[in-house]
Parts: sequence; C-alpha cells; structure tokens
Amino acid sequence: MRLFINFSELLGQDVVDVHNRRVGALQDISMHSNDEVFPRAGSFIVRKGFGRPLYAEIPPGDVQDITDKIELKIDRRTIKFQRQLLPCEFSLCRHILDQQVVDTNDQKVVRVNDVHLLHVDNQLYLAHVDVGLRGLIRRLGWTRFVDGCVRLCAPDSSYLQQDEFISWKNVHVLAAGRTTNVIRSDVARKKLARIPAAELADIMEDLNVFEKLSLFKTFNADMQRRIFADMTPQEKGELADHLTDEEAGSLLENIPADEATDLLHSLSKEKALQLMRYMHSETSKKLRRLLGFAQDSAGGLMTTEYLSVGEEARVKDAVQKLKENADYLGNIFFVYIVDPQNRLVGMTSLRRFINEDPERPLLETCYPKEIFVRTDDGVEEVALLLEKYKFSSIPVLSDDGVLQGVITIDDILEVLISLAWKKYKDQL
Amino acid sequence: MENFWGRIKNLKPVRNFLLFLAVMGPGVITANVDNDAGGIATYSLAGAHFGYTLLWSLVPITVALIIVQEMCARMAVATGKGLADLIRENYGVKVTFYLMFILFFVNLANVTAEFAGIAASLEIFHVSKFISVPLSAVFVWFLVVKGTYKSVEKIFLSACFFYIAYVISGLLAKPDWPQVFRQMAAPSGNWNLPYTVMLVGLVGTTIAPWMQFYLQSSIVEKGITREEYKHIQLDVVVGCILAPVIAFFIVVACAATLFQAGVHVESAQDAAVALRPLAGPYASWLFAFGLFNASIFAASVLPLSTAYGFCEGMGWEAGVNKRFEEAPQFFSLYAFMIVVGAGVVLIPRFPLFKVMFFSQVGNGILLPFILIFMLRLINDSDLMGAFTNRRALNIITWITVLVIMALTLLMVVLTFLYPFAV
Repeated sequence: MRLFINFSELLGQDVVDVHNRRVGALQDISMHSNDEVFPRAGSFIVRKGFGRPLYAEIPPGDVQDITDKIELKIDRRTIKFQRQLLPCEFSLCRHILDQQVVDTNDQKVVRVNDVHLLHVDNQLYLAHVDVGLRGLIRRLGWTRFVDGCVRLCAPDSSYLQQDEFISWKNVHVLAAGRTTNVIRSDVARKKLARIPAAELADIMEDLNVFEKLSLFKTFNADMQRRIFADMTPQEKGELADHLTDEEAGSLLENIPADEATDLLHSLSKEKALQLMRYMHSETSKKLRRLLGFAQDSAGGLMTTEYLSVGEEARVKDAVQKLKENADYLGNIFFVYIVDPQNRLVGMTSLRRFINEDPERPLLETCYPKEIFVRTDDGVEEVALLLEKYKFSSIPVLSDDGVLQGVITIDDILEVLISLAWKKYKDQL
Repeated sequence: MENFWGRIKNLKPVRNFLLFLAVMGPGVITANVDNDAGGIATYSLAGAHFGYTLLWSLVPITVALIIVQEMCARMAVATGKGLADLIRENYGVKVTFYLMFILFFVNLANVTAEFAGIAASLEIFHVSKFISVPLSAVFVWFLVVKGTYKSVEKIFLSACFFYIAYVISGLLAKPDWPQVFRQMAAPSGNWNLPYTVMLVGLVGTTIAPWMQFYLQSSIVEKGITREEYKHIQLDVVVGCILAPVIAFFIVVACAATLFQAGVHVESAQDAAVALRPLAGPYASWLFAFGLFNASIFAASVLPLSTAYGFCEGMGWEAGVNKRFEEAPQFFSLYAFMIVVGAGVVLIPRFPLFKVMFFSQVGNGILLPFILIFMLRLINDSDLMGAFTNRRALNIITWITVLVIMALTLLMVVLTFLYPFAV
C-alpha cells in the first residue's frame, strides 16, 4: 500500500465491490473542510452510465483498499445511485484540480495540476497540491514517454526527481464564482495576513475579479484598507463593483476621503449614490460634495437617510420600522415605497397611516401622485415644490426613477439662508 | 465653457457615447484582425472569380459572427476569465492541452501567412522581402514587448482605421451599384462546386478559432465590468458589422474590375497588381497598402494571443511585462511564432500554399470543438449567473453553430478533395 497517491491516478478508475464486480468509475472525492490542517476525504463519488449518468457517494469506511482500482467492502446492490450530485462543501475536482490557488509561501498564484493524497488508516488526506511540470505531464498521460526521453538525453536532469508540491498548509483556495463559501485553511490564512500589503496587491493582479474578491474578504478592515491603497485604479473600480453595496460602503468609510472620491468618480453616478446610502451621513455628505454634484443641485443637497419599504409592506411594518429608526432618521414623517430595484412606487406620510388598520397594505395609504425632484434639479425648484405641497421632505430620483435620497426642509433652509446672507451683504 | 461641456457630458446619449468610446476596442479590433492576409485573399478571389454573386453571403456571415462573438464577450464579463482558463477549469487539462497544441500550430500557419502578406504587399512598392519581413518582425516584437495594453490598443484601433483603404479602392473601381444591390437582394450565382467551395471558404475565413480566445482575453484584460457590458456588446456588434463591410468593398473592388475584365488571379497581391491597369495606380496602391496594414496588424495580434492562451490554459506565467526568467514558456512560445513565422517566408521556394492549406483544415477541425465548449460554458448557470443563455437565444445559437460546423466540416472535406479550388 502506498503512502501517497496522486489524485489523477485515481480519477476515472474503476470502483469494484466485494465480489470484484464493477460499480462505476471514480468521478470526484468530496472533502471535509474542518479545522484539521489536512482535510479528510468525506466520500468517494462514483459515476455510472453515459448520457444521463447516475451518481453514488461512498464513505471511506466502505473502502477496502486503494490500488490501481478502488475496492469496496460492500456489495454493489447496497449502493444507492441518484440522478443528481448532492452539493458538498468542497471537492477535489470542482474546487482544487485545474483551479488557481494562492501559494502563500512563495506568494504567487499557481494552477493546480494534480493533488497529492496521503493514505493512512484507510483514510485519505489532502496533503499537497502539485503545480509542477511533472504533474502536468502525468495528467496528460505521458509520464513514461517523457521520463524515458529525459533519462535518455539527460539522466541527471532535476526534472526526474523534483515534484513541485505545495503543502496544503500553504494553499489558499480561490474557487470563487463557482461557489460562495470560501474553503479555508487557517494556516494559509494566517500566513496570508503576514504577507506585506504591497505583495498581496501583486498577487491580486494575477486573479480575476471573483478570486480577488474572495481573497479580499478574508482580511480585516485594516488590511483591506492597505491592500486597497496599493491597487491600480482599474482594480479598485472592479472590486467596488463586485462587493455588495454594504461591504463597499464600509470600505469607503475606511479609506481616505480623496481615495474614496477617486473611486466613486470611476463608478456610475447611480452606483456611487447607492453606495453612499451605506455610509454615515457625515462622510457621505463630504464625499458627495467632493464628487462634484453641483452644490445647489438636488443631488448635492440630499441625504441618504430615509425610510423605505417594499411594495408588499403593511401599515404595521411601516410603524415598526419607524420605531426602530426613530433615533437617527432626520425626518420621520415620510415613508417611501420602492420596488426591488429601488424605484419609487409610492409615498406616504405618518399622518396618512398612523390611524389606519395595521393590516392594511401601506400602498393604499399613498398620496395620489408622487412628488419628486431629479438629481440635477436646482435648489429653487426643490424649494418651490416643498412650499407648494407643504412637505417637510421630498424624494430625489435619478433619470430612471431610482430613489437616490431625500431633501429635507432644513437642508433647503441652509442654502436659502446663505443665499439671503449673500444678498444682504451685497446690499451693504 | 467648462460648464457647457459639463452639461453636454451629462446628457444621457452623450454620456453613453463617451462610455462606449472608453470601452470600445476589443470587439472592433478582433473583427478587423479577422480581415487578415488570408481573409483578404479569400475576398479578392471571391470577387475576381464570381463577381457580385457571393456578396449576399456577407449578411448571414455577419449575423453568425455577432452571435458567436457576443457569447465570448458575455463570458468574459461574467467570469472575468479567458476562454482557455474556462476550458481548463471545466474540462480538465487533457482537452485543454490538445486544443491549445493544435491551435498553436494552426495559428503558426496563420502567422506565416501574415508575414507572407507583408512581403507580398511591400513587393508591390518594390521593397525586397529580405528587408520588409525582418523589419516587420522586429516591429511586432517591440510593439508588444515594450507597449502597455492601452498604447497597443490605440495603435490597433488606428490600424482599424486604415482599412478604409479598401473602401476607397472599392469606390475607385467604379462598380455598377444597381447591379451590386440587385445581386445582394437576389443573387444569381450558379450553385456549382467552385461556387460552394468559395462560399464555404468565406465562412471559414471569417469565423476562426483564435478570435474567440483573443476577444475574450482582451475584454478580461481591459477589465470591463458587468455594468459596462452593454457598451462592450455594442463594441462587438459594431466590429462584427465593420469587418464584413470592408470585406464587401474588397469583393466589390475585385468584381468590378478583375471579374469584368476576365483576369484570372490566384492571390491578393495578384489582385493588387491586376487592379493597376483596370482601376488606376491609386486603387492598386491602396489595395496593396490595405494588405500590408492587415497583415502586420494580424501578425502582431496572433502570436501574442496564442502564447497567452497556451500559458493561461497550462497555468504558466504569462504577460509581456514579465521578465524572461519569470515567464520562460510565454516568451519562448511568442518568440517561436514570430521567428518561425517570419523566417519561413524568407526560405526560397517554400511551399506556402501547403501551409495555408494546413491552416484552413486546422481551423475547420478546431472550430466545432471550440463552439461546443463555448455553448456548454455559456449554459452553465453556476458559472454565468444572470448571464446564462436564454432559451430563445440558445436555439438561435445552436442553429448558427450547427450551420457553421456543417460548413466548416464541408470545407475540410472540400479542401482535401479540391485543394486548388479555395
């Protein structure tokens, strides 16, 4: 029995039962990703049939021996086959083999050519990944031929002895875009955290945006800030695009304001405004001004603190939400109803629903029409509308109807007073 | 004034146009490189031998080109990975290796054809190929090794502009326009064997395997985000329309002169020379200049995209900004393609025709596989998310792909049966 087995040599091999009858071919091995340093094989996934194949999962306990085929202890009639593969935490084929991983020791991105499995006590452990040429040639099935040629031409060649293994401890898996959960090896993660930020930014350069994201998310806020500073503007934009709005918002708060504005500039106006909704109002106000919304346009005046609910909300939901947010909302009188794309569907006020039946849909209490301004409308227009309808706040929509923020009457007053002062001073 | 520009910039159509300009590049470049030395030769022969009767085929070719290239653009935006990467990650190293191995030699044959195109076109201007080819090879090497993605893209986009040479030479040829449009609407060609061979050749030269790899990689390299997707889509469509328009003028130029006069030509430079007495020296020069531009353009793109794709798929370091020790395989492959591609042209009496023949057949064999991989990848919702093919689009795509596959297989068979017809 061999101590180390190359996964490529098992892949596609026959699985036979206790009577040496064929069960199927090995399709994949799913792994347990627990806290152990080396993950243990969870089950052998066996496939049979072509066209519409059937799959079965066999626990390592049922395996008698692993030679050039996989021999089971059980009868093949006891194995249950299904049409669909059960989702698993991670498996060698889907997440490791042929994928890109970070070698945290040499601090670079590599592609896995083969997986080196440790075989002890009838258990398989993921010990190394092979990223070298030998692994590649083994996968292609040319080992004998190439070895023969090399022996003939250069018997001392280092190629014959050297496998380029990376210990699993030093592997950080990136297989994102396929699955959302990150497979982690804690050792690798701790090692990653010790790599200088500038080096990490170099590593990031070799990754696609989803892999970048998966790596980026493993760091704490401080590290994220430092890595971010070392990225190219294009990478920054990409990253911000793919983080959730909430994550991007909190990242923006952590980086210096000038960098944040640069970043926001590179995004579309809608996206930038959307992100600012997740930031403290002070920061977002400052950024907005830096962003170059004309200061006296609706976009420059608005705040992003307002209360919005979905279309299916009932009166009691609105009341509940008001109570929860009463502390920090600038204006608690208006509630805006939006669709999933955050487009304004209706608006209502506390006055209109406070005495209603709690079960009544909030939509029914709406004003007959929506009063709103566009982001590039001027301060005069905003003031006129507020005065005309006697509202204390008014929603601001982008050209495609997406709710961007609200302007409250005190925001307007601030501007009007400063205008009035100017006039007054000019007269003096 | 600044305020005025600010306002203009904020107008929605203007803003969209500016965004489009920023994103533009990959699609237009890929489609134009497609009109390379081999392409121009095929279009010239189509015009010279069959007059206007094959023009109609450019319309369905355009549609097919758009459908195929749009898939690549979508995969690039959705996954952020090149096609070689995706095939490796989803279908394993074996398939990828053999695919890239064949692609390498097919593209090497294409590169040889490009350098032959450079030599031929400059010979019309009385420049010896022993000067033009080595100089071009050095130019190509420096352009890519010393340039950044941005600067190279700008040079490539300017190269696209020079294709206008063909439009002008098409106009100088004074075609019979009513006749051209009549043939577009109701072609009157005889469906005989040479006609079919030519038709299949047109499809084969327009939709090539390397394009899929190149387009997807360059969109990834440009870092196009999901939000910019509709702009890159437009870029692809514009490119896929521009390229056949150029092809249209090449066919028209040759049809209006060579076909009318009954001149028999065998290659693009034959066509350029033969244009001289029929349409004047300017048409001839423009035609030759266009051939030179197209050849050197493609000679810059092909070795690079091949080396990239190969290394991507195998997991070797790649990139022109790396040092040789960091990415030995990449630079070796890249240098090999340029040196061999250019060197072979300088060998006296080299059977260039056989190389072209090999590249035609290789393209034809590879394309079906690549298209099937693309279709399977683009239907993988794990991978593509919201960008997965919709059902209706899927049906259209499958039909297109099956037709292309049938035609390319037909081409392979025909090239074996009648190697001198294409």
